[in-house]
Amino acid sequence: MNWKLIFSRNTRHLRILVFLIVTGSGGAFFVRSQMVPADYGQTGPYRHAALVEIAAQPSVLQSDSTCLKCHTNVEEERSESPHAAVRCLHCHGNGKEHIADAEKAAEFPEHMISPAGEWDGDFRTHTDLFITHDRATCLSCHTSVVGMPDAFLSINVAEHLDEQGAEEINSKNVCFECHEGHSPGL
Amino acid sequence: MTFELNILNNGGGCNSGDSAEQPCGDHTGCGGCSEAPDDSSRRQFLTKASTIALGSLSLTLLPMSGDLLSDEPSLDNSDGSLADTGSEPADQSEEVVYGFLVDTERCVGTGKCLTACREENNVPEGYARTWVERFVHYKDGTVQVDLVPETGFADSDIPPIAPELVDRAYFVPKLCNQCEDAPCNQVCPVHAAFTSPEGIELVDPDRCIGCAYCVQACPYGVRFINPDTGNADKCTWCYHRIQRNETPACVEACPVDARVFGRLDDPESELRKRLAKIPTSVLKEHLGTHPKLHYVAKSGEVI
Repeated sequence: MNWKLIFSRNTRHLRILVFLIVTGSGGAFFVRSQMVPADYGQTGPYRHAALVEIAAQPSVLQSDSTCLKCHTNVEEERSESPHAAVRCLHCHGNGKEHIADAEKAAEFPEHMISPAGEWDGDFRTHTDLFITHDRATCLSCHTSVVGMPDAFLSINVAEHLDEQGAEEINSKNVCFECHEGHSPGL
Repeated sequence: MTFELNILNNGGGCNSGDSAEQPCGDHTGCGGCSEAPDDSSRRQFLTKASTIALGSLSLTLLPMSGDLLSDEPSLDNSDGSLADTGSEPADQSEEVVYGFLVDTERCVGTGKCLTACREENNVPEGYARTWVERFVHYKDGTVQVDLVPETGFADSDIPPIAPELVDRAYFVPKLCNQCEDAPCNQVCPVHAAFTSPEGIELVDPDRCIGCAYCVQACPYGVRFINPDTGNADKCTWCYHRIQRNETPACVEACPVDARVFGRLDDPESELRKRLAKIPTSVLKEHLGTHPKLHYVAKSGEVI
């Protein structure tokens, strides 16, 4: 190979071209290595850590299985009633703090929480949980609204109370004079 | 390569698509060679030609597959910090496919799913990952669509509708359709919109630049720009919950089982049983997005 010819003045334009290609592609590879995350493409065309981060979010809403660990009697009552599909949080709220407290108490048996029925009041249930006999809880679902399926029990409160001959029509817990939340009966 | 295959296809008179895989010599794959039986030299040539073609084809493919195989372990080793999340390949091999069914004949519009979603996913006020519409078909033929308030219609200021004017009415919960061919995913310029191995469309908050291209691309309007983060936000079918075998928050919060979540690949799941029992449809089927969200509703009536 004639090196003299290659590095002569006649091939200056070629050398410039080679220089540009080499530095340009080198620069492009460097920029790409800086911009593309290391774990990109590990499980697909995305940053794998994003998948892990999203999956690691804590669950906020509590499922029934958590509640029924302690409140075993409720499951029996509810399973054969029209409220079988209704879950704890629909009426009692999410109860995340309540559950955290209960889990803490489980470590100290002397503070063990008792199920609602036989609760002796020793354990401080500082909760967002309400064990309420409020008609608003029932009516948040059962108020008759256009669009509800016929199979669903929707009522007009005033009519229903009148039909049943309720005495204290305006009382908050009027529903519970006849119905029990866990097994409402009909 | 294509040249050789063309010879094979044209010269052999085989028009079937799989002639490249199965040589014509034994008449199994092609539609039957139309040559006379005594034309043996031509047949020999075709047999040899197809053998050479297939052989060279496999030779060109071999180094490619070798590259792929050798690349993957090196990627895994390059970042040791992610080695503990070894569950992903297992999920891929199992091919988990999630599906969702919304039963418009059961929904009573209490709005409990909306509150649950907001609490679970920290969705700012005024925005929603899921919402419920009420379709009211009046007797005079007009259709009215309301948005169900989060506290339900019972306490809302929305004027009640006289039932005698209404032909029929029903509630339609809306959420991400988790399309198999998701338009939102395809338009993302920075690969922040991606599909998980389970087929769930997700947003990488670190990569998203908030250009809102995906918001416009989604034909179902489920994406929005979260004002708190500036990123695109969307329903993920509560990806973090379903990874722990919990149901999505809206499903957990539905008191009438109008929302059914489950695995489409498991014939024993409640979802598959419900899907088999009742006729269902998907939204905007003509767009070819292949949603994994199914509706119990008249096809084309709900949009």
